[in-house]
Amino acid sequence: MAKILGIDLGTTNSAMAIVEGGDPKILENVEGNRTTPSVVAISKSNERLVGLLAKRQAITNPQNTIASVKRLIGRKFSDPEVQKDKKISSFEIREAADGGVEIKMGDKWHKPEEISAMILGKLKKDAEEKLGESIEEVVITVPAYFDDSQRQATKNAGEIAGLKVRRIINEPTAAALAYGIDKQKDEKVVVYDFGGGTFDISVLEVGDNTVEVKATGGDTHLGGDDFDQLIMEHLIGEYRKQEGVDVSKDPLALQRLREAAERAKHELSTSMETEVNLPYITSDASGPKHFVMKLTRAKIEELTKDLIDKSIKLVEEVVTSPSPKGAGLKLSDIDEVIMVGGQTRMPAMREAVKTLFTKEPHLGINPDEVVAMGAAIQAGILQGDVKDVLLLDVTPLSLGIETLGGVFTKLIEKNTTIPTSKSQIFSTAADNQTSVEIHVLQGEREMASDSKTLGKFILDGLPPSPRGVPQVEVSFDIDANGILSVKAKDKSSGKEQSIKIEGSSGLSKEEIEKMKKDAEAHAEDDEKKKEAAEAKNLAEQLVYTTEKALKDAEGKISDDIKKGVQEKVEELKKVKDKDDISAIKAATENLSKEIQKIGEYMQKNPTPKASEPKETKKEESKPSDSAKASPDKPEENK
Amino acid sequence: MSKEKDPKENIEKLKQECEEYLNGWKRAKADLSNYKKDELKRWEEFARFANEDIIRDLLSILDSFELALRAMEQSGEVEKGVYLIQNQLEDLLHRRGLEKIDIQEGQIFDPGLHDAVMMADGAENQDGLIAEEVERGYMLNGKVIRPAKVKVYKHLEK
Repeated sequence: MAKILGIDLGTTNSAMAIVEGGDPKILENVEGNRTTPSVVAISKSNERLVGLLAKRQAITNPQNTIASVKRLIGRKFSDPEVQKDKKISSFEIREAADGGVEIKMGDKWHKPEEISAMILGKLKKDAEEKLGESIEEVVITVPAYFDDSQRQATKNAGEIAGLKVRRIINEPTAAALAYGIDKQKDEKVVVYDFGGGTFDISVLEVGDNTVEVKATGGDTHLGGDDFDQLIMEHLIGEYRKQEGVDVSKDPLALQRLREAAERAKHELSTSMETEVNLPYITSDASGPKHFVMKLTRAKIEELTKDLIDKSIKLVEEVVTSPSPKGAGLKLSDIDEVIMVGGQTRMPAMREAVKTLFTKEPHLGINPDEVVAMGAAIQAGILQGDVKDVLLLDVTPLSLGIETLGGVFTKLIEKNTTIPTSKSQIFSTAADNQTSVEIHVLQGEREMASDSKTLGKFILDGLPPSPRGVPQVEVSFDIDANGILSVKAKDKSSGKEQSIKIEGSSGLSKEEIEKMKKDAEAHAEDDEKKKEAAEAKNLAEQLVYTTEKALKDAEGKISDDIKKGVQEKVEELKKVKDKDDISAIKAATENLSKEIQKIGEYMQKNPTPKASEPKETKKEESKPSDSAKASPDKPEENK
Repeated sequence: MSKEKDPKENIEKLKQECEEYLNGWKRAKADLSNYKKDELKRWEEFARFANEDIIRDLLSILDSFELALRAMEQSGEVEKGVYLIQNQLEDLLHRRGLEKIDIQEGQIFDPGLHDAVMMADGAENQDGLIAEEVERGYMLNGKVIRPAKVKVYKHLEK
């Protein structure tokens, strides 16, 4: 079955998303952008342009470039909103035979839904290119205040574009879906949507998988662009004061300043201060002029305070006014607040909303993309992706084995989706060790003694060899039913042993939670214990390799060096089984330094067998990680 | 016998279930293999355009450099070393795949490469052609990272 595309068909920009592997994902258009300007044009050469390209040629061809068609779709020509737009739009609008609106583009008159269809058509084509499969069905979002005729027209737009519109959903509902709020019971939700050009407020009542729109409001001509404008006016004004030059007369300077103002606004959402730095902005009789001005977050907050206050007042009205103007609720009745639209990144705006409701608003999903994400989730539900047909389980706790020093080495981390398998090579901890015990553990703690034992078995018959040489492959496999099999195999002899553990996920929810909590509570402690075990292991290994190196280098190094090394070995041996970790570490460090002298000496006085000290050094540098040893514990642990 | 135990019905039900599971499995497998392919593509693109952000930020410095040189040229002689520094910077970026978008007066306006920001008076046969470059445009490894901002001729009918 083909994917259903979720589309946020916006006034200024549109975005699209699909569900992939159960999660919504924004699809980029062919230009590589995550949003597409909702602009359509017929160029001079009679070519139809949609999106960024249409926007770029807009001023050369204003009468054939159609933007913000969403303001017209599904409305009557006599609608005051249409009359208002007619005055400001650069393209021609007339009354259609059915009382609707018609727009002139090129030589033809189009219905608004035909223009919207061109935008949807581009999105469809771009999505198909990106996904490599055809898109036939879509979910499209519309503002909550859209009436039946506007919804029907939006649906028709989809159909004209050759798409089956599976559902039209409200933008605030999509946002709630994206945040997973639809699953809650009986909650009242406010969606504060501050886009580039429009400001929408919706009050929703969510319960039992239904979302009811209680009230809507806002301002169709208030948006982030107004913020940019105020900042730019401020910069121009300040510059006039400082330099006595009016840059607003210089269109080139204005162009650079507009971009700089927008960039400064973005930067001030994350930092407290920024610098607008535009060298050679303009010139006068005295020569070139530069534009350098500090802008603080406090300053832009002061500049735009009126706009934010206005939006907050509107929210209050929509929530508290009696029906039908508002939802007739108290501010304290609201359970959740969601912020949508790029401008809501501004900290002062978030703060104002938080103060109004004394509640932390939902953030986290990119506010420009949250509506498209929600549309994709709705699409996913329709196409069955989000339906829990194939419920994949995860392992609630980590699984692994005990290794040298009582350390719990994890092979499968918690939250791994099953079925899964994982293997790792281990080795022995002592010379001529002929058996290893595989102690299978579960839990989140660092030490074996604090974890739950799932089973134990012994792999014996290893050929006698020095420590660290045998290669024992331990494999964990969990099947779809949660049954764990653990196998240990000696690579040289091919001998293997295994165990099957059925109850590995048979823990109750409470037990699992308890184990996780325990792990959190003991995290610091455990880390210390593990560090201690590792320090001891390291010391042990170093003593072993040093003694071996001394034996190998017998007669090839001076007695001084030999004596020095031996002394350090003795020092380390004295402390290594005690609990003073810093002493062990210090002695280990001393010995590592001392042992290098063997290598240095042998390099200066080469003998045919000069490669061996190098070998020693190599081992010394990574003593315990590649070959975690699983010892015959009775000997090694105590 | 109760209805539930009707073997035919049972087989139908199981068949359906089997079909549903099989489809779910196929879909999951397909999703994964698609995801892998996508991921590979994403990485390739990521590697190619990893530098894009920083290079994009550097563009405004290149602009300022040009403005500075032009201003210095007008007011007198420019130390040769300054040109050399500009060359160094441009060379470095060129090696990373940055190319200037060439603009000539009278060229046809192409919204794929150009962004019209202003209009200029022009003759009738010049209508819609580029009059002048306002800000240089750049491509990185064949992708337009900043369109050239241009003035476009407009013929006003008297």
